[in-house]
Amino acid sequence: MNSSINLMRRVRTLLLEASLWICSLTIIAPLMIVFMGSFKTNTEVLDFSLKLPSIWHIKNYLTVIEKGNLVRYFYNSVLIAAFSVTITVILSSMVGFIVARRVNRLTGFVFMVFFIGLITPQQIIPTIKLLQGLKIYGTIPSVILLHAAYNCAFSVFMYTGFVKSVSREIDESALMDGASTLRLFFSIIFPLTKPINITLVIFAFLGIWNDITLPIYFINDSNNWTMPLSAYKFFSQYSRDWNLVFADMVLISLPVFLVYIFGQRYIVSGLTAGSVKG
Amino acid sequence: MGKTKLYTYYMIVPGLILYLLFYMFPTISGIYFSFTDWRPENEIIKFTGIENLRYIFTDSLLVSALKNTFIFAVITILGKNILGLLLATGLNVKIKSRNILRTIYYIPAVLSTVVIGVLFSAILTPEGVFNTFLNSIGMGFAALDWLADLDLVIYTVSFVAVWQMVGYHMTIFLSGYQSIPTELYEAATIDGAGSISKFINISLPMLVPAINVSLLMSMISGLNAFSNVYTLTGGGPADASQVIGTVVFKKFGEGSWGLGTALNFLQCFLVALICIPLLFYLRKKEVDV
Repeated sequence: MNSSINLMRRVRTLLLEASLWICSLTIIAPLMIVFMGSFKTNTEVLDFSLKLPSIWHIKNYLTVIEKGNLVRYFYNSVLIAAFSVTITVILSSMVGFIVARRVNRLTGFVFMVFFIGLITPQQIIPTIKLLQGLKIYGTIPSVILLHAAYNCAFSVFMYTGFVKSVSREIDESALMDGASTLRLFFSIIFPLTKPINITLVIFAFLGIWNDITLPIYFINDSNNWTMPLSAYKFFSQYSRDWNLVFADMVLISLPVFLVYIFGQRYIVSGLTAGSVKG
Repeated sequence: MGKTKLYTYYMIVPGLILYLLFYMFPTISGIYFSFTDWRPENEIIKFTGIENLRYIFTDSLLVSALKNTFIFAVITILGKNILGLLLATGLNVKIKSRNILRTIYYIPAVLSTVVIGVLFSAILTPEGVFNTFLNSIGMGFAALDWLADLDLVIYTVSFVAVWQMVGYHMTIFLSGYQSIPTELYEAATIDGAGSISKFINISLPMLVPAINVSLLMSMISGLNAFSNVYTLTGGGPADASQVIGTVVFKKFGEGSWGLGTALNFLQCFLVALICIPLLFYLRKKEVDV
């Protein structure tokens, strides 16, 4: 009796596992078509199949990098991501620290102001007026500053929640030593909040690397384009050469894919923190 | 005493200035530009009152963009949350390969929408892989012209958006599942409750905070649709899949900056109008539960 229930349960679990694998093919198959296709010739790729390439043409990648100006785009993307992520994480954690520690009407209001940014979208066209006024319209620094500002909302929200769970006793002991707020923060609190810092870096990086909205609105010189936009250039110029388009797509995705594989733990913990606290 | 010395306000200043200048200022000045005839070549920007708004609600392109935004939002909200919850429920069961499956389902969420847009524009052509697959399993009747059929295209775009983000929402639900004590399920099993009854009576109520976050996220991204549509169809064919976000970009390209801003402002207003009250309502609900 008992063993038949157990057997039934085992069968049900196996059926569940099998159906989850079948569903996952809807994700695996398209991605494999891209990966396999990126090594095929421009005629072989046209069957868009999961078949292995008859010969692995690694040369496709070299062609794409050369013809697509990808070294330049990669450099632009890294530059934009590195600066905006650094600015946003440092500045928002400073805000989050004070908002979490000094609970009063002023800091509550500051928190609300940042919180609004989580909900309402940015006004893009009026931003041009501001950038023209600052004489940085169309430049990479303007995109860096905008990314950094937009990401503050999420980072302040997450960091404030995290600091609340860090004991205040650490702060008090620093006060005894006569440390300034800045020193207390950067030498003690910031290193102590490493898990959330890494989470924020990963989320900001993924969002900024993949974003196309800011570059297409705010960068007019195509030399200053970012990696994802290169897919467009390739798609419109070489749309018959799907092998090259696919190779470009693999190169665009490689950095985020690596960050995801190595930082998965931090993504999950970030989403958990966000959804438990609401 | 210690407090003011230890937690000085100047720590807030740099972040606040950056945020106010580059996010808040354009948002607020956008309200003014919404009521003007602003074009990049105009020396003087004239105040035109509600002219832009009147145009938005009478122009057929803009009305259909509003309608499409609504369709996109509804389908993506339902799709991401229902499928995300189903997947999370399945992957919360102790099966051997659940970690690798969770990893796979999340992958599309970390890829750029450009990659996904270009990829699906290849897959979804009439003779594309997707239709070939449907034909091979005897579902040839469902092999439609996904991206060229004017009535269908906005639905296709919505489904691609769901495909991309379902793993993200699954992860939110999975984290919600983690906070449910296993004793609750054990007690229900002793009482003879079946899986479905456990799901309805234990899982769903306990998942309310995660459901709220997930709903809100999908609502915000649904109403702000831009990248998914832009990368897959560019709003076409024949403007059949235009949403507010892509029309703003179109108006930007045409130099109708005042009108584009008005549309962008309307979108902000719509998102705030729907999401902020919902946020407060859900939070109150959460306390009650």
